Amino acid sequence: MDFITSFDICSSGLSAQRKKMDVIVSNLANASTIQTPEGGPYKRKVAVLAAEPVRGKFGAALQEALSEVKVTEIIEDGEGLKKVHDPTHPNADEQGFVTYPNVNVVAEMADMITANRAYEACVTALDASKNMVLKALDIGK
Amino acid sequence: MNRVTAHHEVPAPAPQAPKPAGGAPGKTQGSFGDMLKQAVTEINRLQNNADQAITNVQLGRSGSIHEAMIALEKADLSFRAMMQVRNKILEAYQEVMRMQV
Repeated sequence: MDFITSFDICSSGLSAQRKKMDVIVSNLANASTIQTPEGGPYKRKVAVLAAEPVRGKFGAALQEALSEVKVTEIIEDGEGLKKVHDPTHPNADEQGFVTYPNVNVVAEMADMITANRAYEACVTALDASKNMVLKALDIGK
Repeated sequence: MNRVTAHHEVPAPAPQAPKPAGGAPGKTQGSFGDMLKQAVTEINRLQNNADQAITNVQLGRSGSIHEAMIALEKADLSFRAMMQVRNKILEAYQEVMRMQV
């Protein structure tokens, strides 16, 4: 059934935004984490989204026109770690500096709102597409 | 531009379509009953998927809420479509039974 194509694309968008949200929440939760299993402070993570062609569901001539979205990898941003002078801190180095994560809480909040709105947009698109199918089923009534 | 050419390509398969029918005259690809059976099987599969998805979410096994909801919507819409086909068939049947001979 052809309406399943748009449902699947919406589903991929929703999943991608959920994963993005997970990454943002992880960044926010670790905004001041200075110890990690791999050593050093927590480093900001970023989800990378990539388009993936939808296969075998649409007319062969138009197949390349459609793509689903997928989180391909989570990259680590090691730039801009903050150094704070605090010689009494147990994690301070020889010069008395403690390295804090490079998480900017305000930027993360903005990303969070973006992910939230994108999720809402996908849900709206799904509802619209569902209404189209329901309208089609009303034909001839 | 790409899209425009793609649109022009759509009618291209049409001349091919009558060929298989011409190759085997009188023998169509499965009967209406077969097609209906296939559709019902597909709808049943979607219903089972929806069941499985909602069970997984409720038991906290795997899958997300939106996937379960989308599976439910798929099952709902395909079932509605099937009901419409059934209504039309029954309507036609009743129309025939009402025929004066």
